[in-house]
Amino acid sequence: MRFNSLAFRLFTTAATWTLLVLPVAGFIIYGLYREDVQASFDGQLQKLVNAITVDSMGSGDAPPMAPANLYEPLFEVTHSGWYWQIMPVDEPGASKLVSPSLATATLPSPAARNIAPDASGARWMKAKGPKGEPLRLVEVIDTLGHEPDKPRYSIVVAGPQDWLDHLVSNFRYRLTTALALAGLGLVAVTLFQVRFGLLPLRQIEGGLAAIRSGAATTLEGELPAEIEPLQSELNALIRSNQDIVDRARTQVGNLAHALKTPLAVITNEARGDKSGVGAKVAEQAQIMSESVKHYLDRARMAARVNVIGRVTRVAPVAQSLVRTLERIHQEKTIKITVACPPDARFQGERQDLEEMLGNLLDNACKWARRGVLLCVEVAPESSRLRKKRLAITVADDGPGLTQAQRARIGKRGLRLDETKPGSGLGLSIVMDLAQSYQGSCVLSEGPEGGLAVHLELPAA
Amino acid sequence: MRVLVVEDDKDLNRQLVAALGDSGYAVDSASDGEEGYFLGDTEPYDVIILDIGLPKMDGISILEQWRRADRKMPVIILTARDRWSDKVAGMDAGADDYLAKPFHMEELLARVRAQVRRASGHARAEIECGPLRLDTKSARVTCDGQQIKLTSHEYRLLAYLMHHNGRVVSRTELVEHLYEQDFDRDSNTIEVFIGRLRKKIPVDLIQTVRGLGYRLSELPEQG
Repeated sequence: MRFNSLAFRLFTTAATWTLLVLPVAGFIIYGLYREDVQASFDGQLQKLVNAITVDSMGSGDAPPMAPANLYEPLFEVTHSGWYWQIMPVDEPGASKLVSPSLATATLPSPAARNIAPDASGARWMKAKGPKGEPLRLVEVIDTLGHEPDKPRYSIVVAGPQDWLDHLVSNFRYRLTTALALAGLGLVAVTLFQVRFGLLPLRQIEGGLAAIRSGAATTLEGELPAEIEPLQSELNALIRSNQDIVDRARTQVGNLAHALKTPLAVITNEARGDKSGVGAKVAEQAQIMSESVKHYLDRARMAARVNVIGRVTRVAPVAQSLVRTLERIHQEKTIKITVACPPDARFQGERQDLEEMLGNLLDNACKWARRGVLLCVEVAPESSRLRKKRLAITVADDGPGLTQAQRARIGKRGLRLDETKPGSGLGLSIVMDLAQSYQGSCVLSEGPEGGLAVHLELPAA
Repeated sequence: MRVLVVEDDKDLNRQLVAALGDSGYAVDSASDGEEGYFLGDTEPYDVIILDIGLPKMDGISILEQWRRADRKMPVIILTARDRWSDKVAGMDAGADDYLAKPFHMEELLARVRAQVRRASGHARAEIECGPLRLDTKSARVTCDGQQIKLTSHEYRLLAYLMHHNGRVVSRTELVEHLYEQDFDRDSNTIEVFIGRLRKKIPVDLIQTVRGLGYRLSELPEQG
């Protein structure tokens, strides 16, 4: 996941919120539970101390008795943590009543430590038991028969605080585990949600790639309501783009037709005229027709630039051109050998590929003695360009060119041999077209001494 | 040799007819697609020059229909649309050659000669038969190096026989390939021209095959 992505934004906000909220919620729940447990424990102690008070101090003059009713069996078990104790307040040496669990030990008195009573008259404190275990302790001071002038007794009930602590820590452990799991779960769900929610964007990405690679002409598929307008707009854009290009191309073609026939007439008429005027007109008509061709080719190129998503398979183009050229050059019986992988695809217009290959092959056929070689290779992606490239070589076994000639060729209208038919614009339009595709066109000496032209173009 | 020009531009049509006529061809012309298709479908032309952009019926459809009907005459496509895609489409429709406008008339004539030669199975621009030598480029015939003066009809007849030398050519075939469509076709004129030709070249080169026609052959049939 990249930092600058929708997925990252959605995920981090959701995850941060989850990680902030869960611990806070945990603390609150833990605090509430702890208070609750303490309160209910205290309530139980309070009930016990009240019951013992009522039970033991009820009778008028008789000294207090051990409470008859055993409210808690653990009072019987030695050092169980549950204790009670009845002790006279004003006669320190007097005998006291204790639960069997307390055995010989004595519980401290909160009153003796100046702890103030609460609203119900009970005093609370924490203390250590006979075994040194922590205790929660409550004391009520009462008189025999609840009469004001009778001797006062301190009634103390203690319960094991560590039981409470144990309960709370147990709860804390489970709460932490549960919340941690919930947190992990939420993060996972968020991750899934983000992925799932953004899936249509992936679909668009795939759709656009398909358009670019030529597998599709429109952005297809059922997209969510939010991005459906984007889809239809994009399709409209692609369509209108296509329309503009097609229209421009048609216009250019029409212009070509409109200009070329009159030019043919003028040229032929002028060549029939033997006066100086005729020669001049013929010469100028020739210049005009070359200019027309030159600028029409460029106009076609300008109309084509930046068309999204045209892909051309190379093999069928090569085959149809070879078929055509073998027929055009039937007289010479030239063998055109094609080596082209079936999956080689050119990222661009079919017409442009035809134009480049057609001109190169036609040139090669004009000069070749016996054979022409067309070799197409798909070069793997290089790290620099991050795109696959097509390496196309057209080589003939003709006389070839010297280094100086190769350097000169390709300039507009330049023909090295005026005897071969053709307007001499072939190679320059190939170079311009290759350049418009960020490709290149390089001349070298062929394997059999003739000319070899190396074309590098973007592959799809 | 009989040639059909299908071209809708009047001036270009006229120029083509004139240039081809000057080179010794019998030329018919049509200025729209339907007329061109009809002529090509019914008359035996040796070469057809066909414009692609035509009124009523476009050149590619005409060509496809001819080929579908198994008409095999050589067709040279003439068009302003000179992209390779157009050339491929034209050749795939059944054209034999392709010439982009504007063109030089010399180049067109060269292409026409090449198609005529190709159709009759001759590889070179000069056709020889015994002492006779036909230079298709300059439309001249020599006998033992001496140029023979021929009228245009005589040239057409001799050129046709030389292109098809060794083969018996019927009188009907000669009439069909030597005269324009609206020419008054009297097969007796063929005999007159054969007679005139026999006076200008070694007499036994043109043999009459009774009931069948004529044959131009270096070695007279024995017996």
